[in-house]
Amino acid sequence: MTAKFQAFMILGALVLLLIIFVLLKRGKMTVKYSLLWLGLSLALTVFAVCPYVVFVLRDILGVEMPVNLVFMLMFCFVLLVLLSLSIALCQLAEKSKRLTQANAILEKRVRELEEKLSPPD
Amino acid sequence: MKYPAKILVLIPCYNEEANIVAAVERLRTACPDVDYLVINDCSTDHSVELLKQYRYPYLDLPVNLGIGGGIQCGYVYARANGYDITVQMDGDGQHDPAYLDAIVEPVLRGELDMCIGSRFIKKEGFQTSFMRRVGIHFLSGMILLLSGNHVRDVTSGFRATNARMTAYFAEHYASDYPEPEAILAASLAGFRVGETPVVMQERQGGVSSINAVKSVYYMVKVSLSLIIDRLSIKRIRRR
Repeated sequence: MTAKFQAFMILGALVLLLIIFVLLKRGKMTVKYSLLWLGLSLALTVFAVCPYVVFVLRDILGVEMPVNLVFMLMFCFVLLVLLSLSIALCQLAEKSKRLTQANAILEKRVRELEEKLSPPD
Repeated sequence: MKYPAKILVLIPCYNEEANIVAAVERLRTACPDVDYLVINDCSTDHSVELLKQYRYPYLDLPVNLGIGGGIQCGYVYARANGYDITVQMDGDGQHDPAYLDAIVEPVLRGELDMCIGSRFIKKEGFQTSFMRRVGIHFLSGMILLLSGNHVRDVTSGFRATNARMTAYFAEHYASDYPEPEAILAASLAGFRVGETPVVMQERQGGVSSINAVKSVYYMVKVSLSLIIDRLSIKRIRRR
């Protein structure tokens, strides 16, 4: 790995880390959902600062090219994020269903109360 | 018939402007003593204006939830208002209110927690298309296999539930095509589910919510949900 490439890697990882912090700070993302992303950017930073870690991991897992290991890890990470998004989506759908039902029942009560207060002629 | 219990009839309504008034009027003439509640699932036609105009009691869902979420809303309402028996009846004229007694009776007598109006016991009246019957028999067999409970007309939306069953459905009810799943879930959770013969009619107007393309999706989705339910619902045996 050339020094130039390493510099770009470090820069990229730090930019990702910075973006996530800014999003957190502005309240655009909650800590709960940022944990995965923080984990990724930290791992990327470690990989970029000391590529030795990647080589050790490659030897443990028996992958030929270190770069393939990085690709594989990234792909696994993306799958993980997609899965967590699906879960979050289902929870939101359930909550919005409950809210819709509660809202409809309240709307009926309000409608009937209003009719009682001012009966139409 | 005069009932000794508080009964609520839920009528789901999604784009039923052609049928809803006739269906409600038929119910009011046949069973003047029961309460009823139309659940308008965010219809895009003039259903809600009709409900307002005729001053029927109705729930107006602000977003479309589909039949499962809509009916569940009715069960939540029934539970909150202390109804003894909740009946579900389609708003398209398929279900004849004359059979309301027949499906309420077993629940009223305490023999069943949920009683389903079935068109396949006496095989009278509208029997639906051949392909649909094949699908229904397949799902019926699957529910028999998974719960040991034999219900023939598993997709029938004409059903009566007692207060305990209603409270269960207010908490747990499938969202997309809920009828077969509700039977399996109720059976596994230890409720007594059975059926009684009724005669159904072909829908009077409008379009059914299930078309040819959707039916493949329907079978796959429902079969898978049934298996998942079997795996996830703790089996309770009540005497």
